[in-house]
Order: sequence, then C-alpha cells, then structure tokens
Amino acid sequence: MTAAGLLIAASVALPLLMALACLWPAFRDRAADWLVIAPLPALLAALLARGGSIVVAPPPLRLTLALDDVGAMLLGGAALLWAAAGAYAGSYLRGQPGLARFAVWWLLTLTGSLGCFIVADMTSFYLAFSVASLAAYGLVSFEGSTRAQRAGRVYMALALLGEAFILLGFVMLAIGAPQGNPLIRDAVALFPAAPLRDPALALLILGFGLKMGLVPLHVWMPLAHPVAPMPASAALSGIIVKAGVIGLIRFLPLEAALPGWGATLVGAGLFTAFYAVAVGVTQTQVKTVLAYSTVSQMGVVAAVLGAGLMTAAPGTALLAGFYALHHLLVKGALFLGVGVVMATGPRHRKLVLAVMAVLALSLAGLPLTSGALAKYAVKPLFGDGLAATFATLSAAGSTVLMLHFLRLLGGAAKPGAETPPAGIVWPWAVVALAAFAGPWAIFGGATALPLAASLGAKALWAALWPIGLGAVLWAGLRVLRLPAVPEGDVIVLADRLAPVVARAGDAVEQADGWLRRWPVAGMMLAGLAAGLSVLLWAGS
Amino acid sequence: MMADATTPGGGLLVLALMLPAVGMLAIFALGLRHAERIAHATLLAGLAVALAVAVKVGQSGQAMTYLIGGWRPPLGIALQADGLSAVLMVMTAVILCAVGVFARGSFSSPRDGAETRRPFVFWSLFLGLWSALNCAWLARDLFSLFVALELLTFSAVPLVCLDGSRETLRAALRYLLFALAGSVLYLMGTGLIYGAYGTMDIATLHHLTRADWATSLALGLMIVGLMAKAALFPLHLWLPPAHAGAPAAASAVLSALVVKAPFVLILRLWFEVAPQPASTPAGAMLAGLGAASILFCSVMALRQARLKLMIAYSTVAQVGYLFLVFPLVMGSAAVTPWESVGWTGGVLQLVSHAFAKAAMFLAAGLIAEALGHDRIADLGGAAKAVPVTVAAFALAGLSLMGLPPAGGFIAKLMLLTAAVETANWWIAATILAGGILAATYVFRVVGSALAEAPEGAGTTAIARSRELAVLALALIAVALGFLPLQPFDYLAIGRGGMP
Repeated sequence: MTAAGLLIAASVALPLLMALACLWPAFRDRAADWLVIAPLPALLAALLARGGSIVVAPPPLRLTLALDDVGAMLLGGAALLWAAAGAYAGSYLRGQPGLARFAVWWLLTLTGSLGCFIVADMTSFYLAFSVASLAAYGLVSFEGSTRAQRAGRVYMALALLGEAFILLGFVMLAIGAPQGNPLIRDAVALFPAAPLRDPALALLILGFGLKMGLVPLHVWMPLAHPVAPMPASAALSGIIVKAGVIGLIRFLPLEAALPGWGATLVGAGLFTAFYAVAVGVTQTQVKTVLAYSTVSQMGVVAAVLGAGLMTAAPGTALLAGFYALHHLLVKGALFLGVGVVMATGPRHRKLVLAVMAVLALSLAGLPLTSGALAKYAVKPLFGDGLAATFATLSAAGSTVLMLHFLRLLGGAAKPGAETPPAGIVWPWAVVALAAFAGPWAIFGGATALPLAASLGAKALWAALWPIGLGAVLWAGLRVLRLPAVPEGDVIVLADRLAPVVARAGDAVEQADGWLRRWPVAGMMLAGLAAGLSVLLWAGS
Repeated sequence: MMADATTPGGGLLVLALMLPAVGMLAIFALGLRHAERIAHATLLAGLAVALAVAVKVGQSGQAMTYLIGGWRPPLGIALQADGLSAVLMVMTAVILCAVGVFARGSFSSPRDGAETRRPFVFWSLFLGLWSALNCAWLARDLFSLFVALELLTFSAVPLVCLDGSRETLRAALRYLLFALAGSVLYLMGTGLIYGAYGTMDIATLHHLTRADWATSLALGLMIVGLMAKAALFPLHLWLPPAHAGAPAAASAVLSALVVKAPFVLILRLWFEVAPQPASTPAGAMLAGLGAASILFCSVMALRQARLKLMIAYSTVAQVGYLFLVFPLVMGSAAVTPWESVGWTGGVLQLVSHAFAKAAMFLAAGLIAEALGHDRIADLGGAAKAVPVTVAAFALAGLSLMGLPPAGGFIAKLMLLTAAVETANWWIAATILAGGILAATYVFRVVGSALAEAPEGAGTTAIARSRELAVLALALIAVALGFLPLQPFDYLAIGRGGMP
C-alpha cells in the first residue's frame, strides 16, 4: 500500500464520507459550504499519484483503483472543475430551500464521476458510472419546476436504458474472461477475439454514446443541462458527459484495428457534431445553446476515437482524453461564466464578455487558445480523407454556434446588476485560467507532437480559415428566419408515445383485475398444471 | 446424499424445529403477558442454533443429518442440512430477529397487565411460522415437506388479518383458499409418486424416478400447486391484498420468507426428484411465467398509489426472477447444477430479495407510522421525519433494481451471465427490463420521500432501535453485493451424491 495508492483511494473516499456524514443533521445543514474540499484529494492525486494503484479488495472481488495517464488528465480537470463549481454553488445557491438535499446529490455525483476515471476493474466501473448517472438526477430535477421534472424523467429513463446497454455489454465482454470480476485491461485484451465481440461493442457504444449525447441519444442533454442550477450545469455538461468518454476510452479495443466499427463511430460522431450545431443555432436560451455545443463537441470526441480505432493508431486514448479535457474546462468556465455575466453590471461587463468570447471561440479552435491545440492534436488521426475535411469543417460549425451563443449572452444581463459576488467570480476565473493554461502545460506529455509546430504559419492558417468561414455563415444565417425547434428536438416524437404508454398501462391494470378473479385463477391453476405435466412428459 | 446415520451435532437440527415450538408452548403456559419476552429469548436461542448449524456444515464440508428415532429412510424420517439449507436457516433467523426488534413497538403487551389478543396471536404465530420454515428447509421427504407447508400456511394466514378489519379478513380468506387449492394439487402429486415408487424420501426417489406419464403428472401437479403458494404470475391473485393488508412486521416475513419456501421445494423437486435431464420445454414454461411475472407485476407496482401495495406487487415480480433459473441451469456447461452461475444467481436472488424486501416492508411500516398514511404521492417530509428509514428503503431499493453494490446486483449479474452463456436472449432482455422498471418504481418513492413536507403535516416520532433494525436488514442486502461473482462452494455442500 503506497502513499500514491492511498491518495487515489482518498479521491473517492472523502466525497463518499462527506455524503454519508449528511445523515447527521448538524453536518447536512452546513454541507453546502464544504463542497469545495470534496474533490481536493483527487486534484492532488492527479498531480502527484500518476501511475499509482491500490487494490481495495483482493481477488476474487478484485476491487482495484489505478491512475494511468489519461485517467490522471481527466481526473485533474474534473477535480478542479468540481472544486470551483462547488465553491460557486455555495455562493450561488445560498439560502435556497433544499440546499442540503442538493449537497447530498452533488457529493454522490462527484464521487461517482471521479471514480470513473480511476477504477480499474469492471464491477467498480459499473458502480462508479451508475452512481454518477443516477445521482445526477437529483441535480437535474433540483429546481422542482414542471420543466425540471420533465427533464429529470427523460434523463432518468435514458440513463437507465444506457445502464442496461452497458451491463449487457459488460456481461458479454466478460464471458471469455476468467470468472469473477476481471480488470478492464484484461477483459479488453480478450475483446478482439471474443465470441460476442460485435454485439458487445454495439451495446457499449450505445451505452456510453448515450452518456456523451451521440445523436439520436442526445435528447436528454438539451433538457437536463440547462434546467439544473448554474454550477450543476457546469458539472453535468463539463464533467458527467466525460463518464461516457472515459467509458469508450477504457472499453474500445483501441489497440486492435477494427475499421468497420471505427468508421461507424467516425460517422456517428461527425453527424452528431453537425446536427447539434444545426439545431443549436435555432435555440433561444443561452444554456440550451451551450448544451447543444456539448453534444456537438462530444461528437468530435467520438469521431476521434473512431478514427483511432480504424487504424489502431497509437496514443488515441491520450489524444481523445486531451480533447475531452479541453472541453471539460472550457465548458465548465462557460456555464459558470453565464452566471457571472448575468450578475454583472455595465461597468465590468465588457471585460467579462471578452473573456467569455475567447473561451467560446476556443471551442472552435481559435488560434493561440487551448482549443487550437486540441484541434491540432487530434488532426493527424483523421488522415487526409473525407473524414478530415468534415472534422475541419466542424470547427466552422462550432464557430457559428458560439457566435450565436455570444449574441444571446450579450442580451442576457439582469437589469440592476452591479458587481457580481466574489464567491462566483473567483471560481469562474480559476476555471477560465485553467482552460487557457492547462492544455498548454500538459500538451507535451499528452501528445507526441512538437508544440512549436502548432504555432507555425501553416497551423495558424489551418485553424483560422474555418473560423472565418463560420463567421461568414453566421452572418448569413442572421438574415434568414430560423425555425423554432423545441429543446431536445426529436424528443417531441417520444411525447406522442405518452398516450400509447398510458393506454398500455391501463390495459395491464385491467388484465390484472381479470386474472385476479376467482374463476379465472381457478382455470389458470388447472390449465397450468395440465400444461406443465404435458411438457414434462413430452420433453423428457 | 443418502442419510445413513445421524452426524455429530445432528441434534441441532431437531432443536431448530423444536425451539420455536417450545417457545410457542411457553407463551401458552406462562401467561400471555410475557409473550414478547419469551419470543425474544427464543429468537436469540434460535439464531444461535442456526449459526451453529451453518458453521458446522461449513467446517465439515458435509451435510448434517439427523435420523428421527434412528430409523433410516425410506422407513424413517430424516432431517438434513446441506449448504443451501444452512444458508436459508441463517437467513430466516436473522430476518426474524430484525423483525422481532421492529415489532417490539407494535405488539408489546400493555403495561397494565391486561392480556390482549394481538400480541399473543402475533408472537405465537411468529414462532409457529419459524418452526414451519425450518422444517421446510430441513425435511427430506415429500410428506414432511407437505406438513411444513401446511403449518406455514396456517401460521401465515392469521397474520394477514391481525387487525381484524373486513378488508384484511377477505384478503386472508382469499389467501387461505388459494393456498388450500395449491396444497390439494401438491397432495395429489405426492399420492401419485407414492403409488408409483412406494417411497416419499427424496434421496431414494432421486435414483428411482422414470420419465413416464404418472411421474410427469405428479410433478406437474406438485409444481403448479407450489407455484400457487409462491404467487407466481398468473396465480398471484391472493398476494397483493394479503401482503399489503397485513401489519408491516407480518408483511415483511410473508414477502421475504414465506413465499420462498414453496420455491425451494420446487427447486428440490426439479433438481432432485425429477428424472434427469429434466424437460427443456417445461423449464422454458416456468421461466416464461417468471418473465411474465417480472414484466407484468413490475408495471403493476409502478401504477400503485399505496406504498405497501407497490411493494407487494414488487414481490411477485421479484419471485419471477427465481423461476428464470431452470433453463439457465439446464443449458449451462457446468458439470452439476450447483456449479453453474445460474443456480448460484438464483439462490443469491432469493436471499438478497429476502433481506431487501423485509427491509422495505418494515421501512414502509415506519414511514406509515411517522406520517400517518402510505400514499406514495404524499410522502413529502418522510426523509426529514425518519431519515434512517428512508435511507434503508433506498438501500433496499438498490438491491431490487440490481445496482451495485448490492446483493441484487450480483444476483442479477449472475443470472444475466448465465442467460448470455446459454444464449437465452429473451431472459437477458427480461432481466434488464425488470431492472429498469424496478428502478423506476423505487425512484418514484424515494423522490417523493425526499420532497419537502406539505404545510402543517404532523409526524409521529419513531423509536431509534426500530429504525436501526430496518437499516441493518438493508445493509445486509447491500453487503451481499460484495460476494465474488462465481459459484460458491458452500452452496454445493452436501450435494456430492447428486449427479
């Protein structure tokens, strides 16, 4: 048991203990003030304990935590955002009813989401993933409005569906592995030759894709992310979607070339990237636009992973992780920033909006921002075919969406706003700073590319022209009248199913009443006895 | 394994049957006023006996046998504790002890010394039920098992109508009549078996049974009769009103333990009496009914407005999972059924559901006491009034949904693994769909309980010890989730002689 191992264990132990401590009313009432410290062990672990591991329970249970490079990268980013958003929440939600309840859901979600990055065995992964998914329901539906309740229901239904996909996928994956609870690494090593490889892969991509919001499994995201309180939106859109990313990174057999599956993922990812932009520009709520932007960006991450899977390109996991880290920090800063903008009076507005503009365009790969680095890092994976063209064009799409966002944000101030409270400004500033500087600091470690080349004229031009194109497109779109698309777009189709479901439920209830009548039950008893006897006789 | 001689310590098995009976007699003899104290003393002693049996079975690695009167079967009657029986005995004892602690508030004798009907009836039936359950776990011949089932039914039915209201009397009568119908079928089957083979000893029958029509008819009658007592869909008409109408302490025992006895008998009939290999279509039929039970009754649970009715429907759904094991075991590549993941998963589902469901019913009882009602839509404020109880309910719910870390998760994962291994895709789909439905009905309750209390709603204080008893049961259901994902050697103890 090493110090590094203990630090890794503490990353999930501290938030879990804090959640348990909420059973005591004395702690529960003040828990919201302490949210900032919950992710600190994880932050330390990401900085100091890379490469460490700890076996929490020996085989056959085999509960194991380990921190590899990609895990450390995402853990560090996630812990930083959780800490900042936690501090932000303490100030932003002060005095709101149900704050203690919010803190409990927050701590549980935090535990699960950080756990996803460090668990090394399959059962623990499922556990961490489920905790993050299910506890986030409490954050989504916190406000209690009709809108929040609907978002919560849709979120829950799809989250449970995703869990079912993943569980079945895991079972199929583990069939070939030794009995018990295999390490993810060992199970995935057997994956390419597994008898049920293709259905298992399909299920895992569906399950994790749902968490990342791959179209058409994205419908919950534009409902759920905007309706949560601001710091929770930042965590959901920045961090929780990364549970899907780390799932794909961990479970796709990236070291074996599977061109068919890779191409499928590239196709689904790029389609998602453009689709979300197309729907996103029709939205009129600031936070909803950001949610669609997350869908779009996660599409790019899926495409990156698919491209790597096609050719078994080395380093794919780290590159995808690097891109995801950039999105995590930027999206977190953007959501937190929306709250800051709304609380800022005209005097300081320009400064805040300028920072937000750079952050937003960073998602489109604005030169010299961390976004440009992220795009630059993943570019070689796409080669120079059709996929590469579309991947580049997705930056133009992001530009359109982000300009739309900035325009809405400019008009989003509350009248009478003055200086925003320090309690929400500094967390935002910290995350924004990390979003700019963090990816620069770890670029060398995460990618094998020369940093200097990313500043060359060629790279700058490659980053710049899609943004220019996007700006032109955006200007063109302003002339058009865009149709009003409801939040969650195709989810409205599901609403039409509601009466059908209700009728089916009524039918079940009627059938139950009928079956529970005496004559019917008596007939059933006799019929079943006769039927079973015949089958026993005929079958043996 | 044939019961050749009484093994060392075999007397403990007799003690397991007799202790509760003696406790019951003591309640009659020593004055009804002491009913609760006598019952608690018996509970402690019985728990010790069950643990001793389990330890001894584990240490020797062999089944424990007691020949009554020294006569060997098929002439005499044997009691035998194999690994499965030992697990069931401990499960029963632990759950009854927790219920015993819980029931202290509800049925304690009044201080003024006046003897009332309720505590007396409750505690004596409670002990009678225990004796019957131990008999069902330990008996090794079809007739003793019949006696155990009847004793079980007659102890369970009055528990349903303990409060004497019109509604519960109707529910109890329904339960009694349908259980009786089941008994008749079982008895007919037993008669057929005795006529064909001249013995009722299971170990003897194991080597004798032939795949002829008489045996098939006998087994068909017995299994369906037992299904009626286990309330498998579509024979569940009696369960929801009976389990929902009984006092919480009784509901917990009925749902957690009583419906499991007929299922364990079906397991024994299927794997120990029926000619092997057993009929594949018949196994598929049982699993099909199980799947229908899971889907149909989970939807019904989702549509209930009352908490206890929801939990009762959930019991029918969860019993459905047990019936999935037949095709999963028969299709597996394991050498014996007890070495297959499916069988282990089935047993674990039985045990974890017992703990989770007991915790849930008791929690529902406390919530109803605290708030004065059990309407799911109006549970707001429950989390503030009885936080430990709501936490216990949520933990037990975790197990029902099949989420880690809980016993229900490991059980469902094993069943799912077995379904994938044997390519029973429809069973895999049912297990997953059942999990989603269970999560939905549990979340509905937890979400409602976490909401703010409505204005002016008063609550009644609940003794902390009762809340902790419920939490203990829920924690055991969760702790079962830390069992390794593979067949357990313990459950195979005493089955060496079975092919």
